[in-house]
Amino acid sequence: MEIENLDHILLFKTNIKSEDCKAKMQTILDRYEGIIKWNIALDDRDCVLRVISYSLNHQQIIELINSYGFDCCELT
Amino acid sequence: MRIRDEDKVKLVKQKALESIVKDGFEGFSMNRLAKTCGISVATLYIYYKDKDDLIISIAREEGDKMGDMFIENFDPNLSFEEGMRVQWSNRYKFLTENPSAHLFFEQLRTSTYQERFLDNFMKKFKTVIGEFMQNVVAKGEIKPMSLEVFWSIAYAPLYALVRFDREEQSIGGKPFKLTEEVLWQTFDLVIKAFKS
Repeated sequence: MEIENLDHILLFKTNIKSEDCKAKMQTILDRYEGIIKWNIALDDRDCVLRVISYSLNHQQIIELINSYGFDCCELT
Repeated sequence: MRIRDEDKVKLVKQKALESIVKDGFEGFSMNRLAKTCGISVATLYIYYKDKDDLIISIAREEGDKMGDMFIENFDPNLSFEEGMRVQWSNRYKFLTENPSAHLFFEQLRTSTYQERFLDNFMKKFKTVIGEFMQNVVAKGEIKPMSLEVFWSIAYAPLYALVRFDREEQSIGGKPFKLTEEVLWQTFDLVIKAFKS
């Protein structure tokens, strides 16, 4: 087993369903301090948002996404 | 702390291959795969960015595995017949030991994923086999010809036999089981075709 800490991968269930919604979040997520990389799986029924961050926690991302009017909760 | 569990990763790859072969790319989803593997969707997204990332990384890995098997005990300086014999033997071994991987590549060929994994695909294998082909042409063992003509004579018969064997029938539903005898009898005819 490879010992590799994967705690910096944060996963969320969202309602960011379309390319348009994704585009709306694009600039914000691209520029947000602490977010190294992110992507949204639009083809997934949970519209999974995947964020790589070494400094942010789940709650901070949830609040950020919520503040733009989208649902967001931790994917478990 | 979350850590990468290699056993889980292996299971994910195996089940993904099987599901894609069975249901195609359309019927394949991360949710369904997680369920099949008995793991959470989150675990799957820890290992792979999304569905496309998963499919492409599996394709690359399986391609390298296939390429490595194809060049096992294969020396590009072999004579044409000996080199081809090793190729047939390695390919036959790969096809019988990894039927899902082979069918997975058949599906990829006709999908939109094709162009996205072809870069660097089986690079090591392509270098070695390229060298072999150059050598046999330089030695005058075979005439120069297009890749399509070469492949259709050199390997297509092997893949046809393996397909008959997998489907347990040949032409017109005739029951068929591939034997070593039939395999090497076909091989001899292939070699003869290049010599004439």
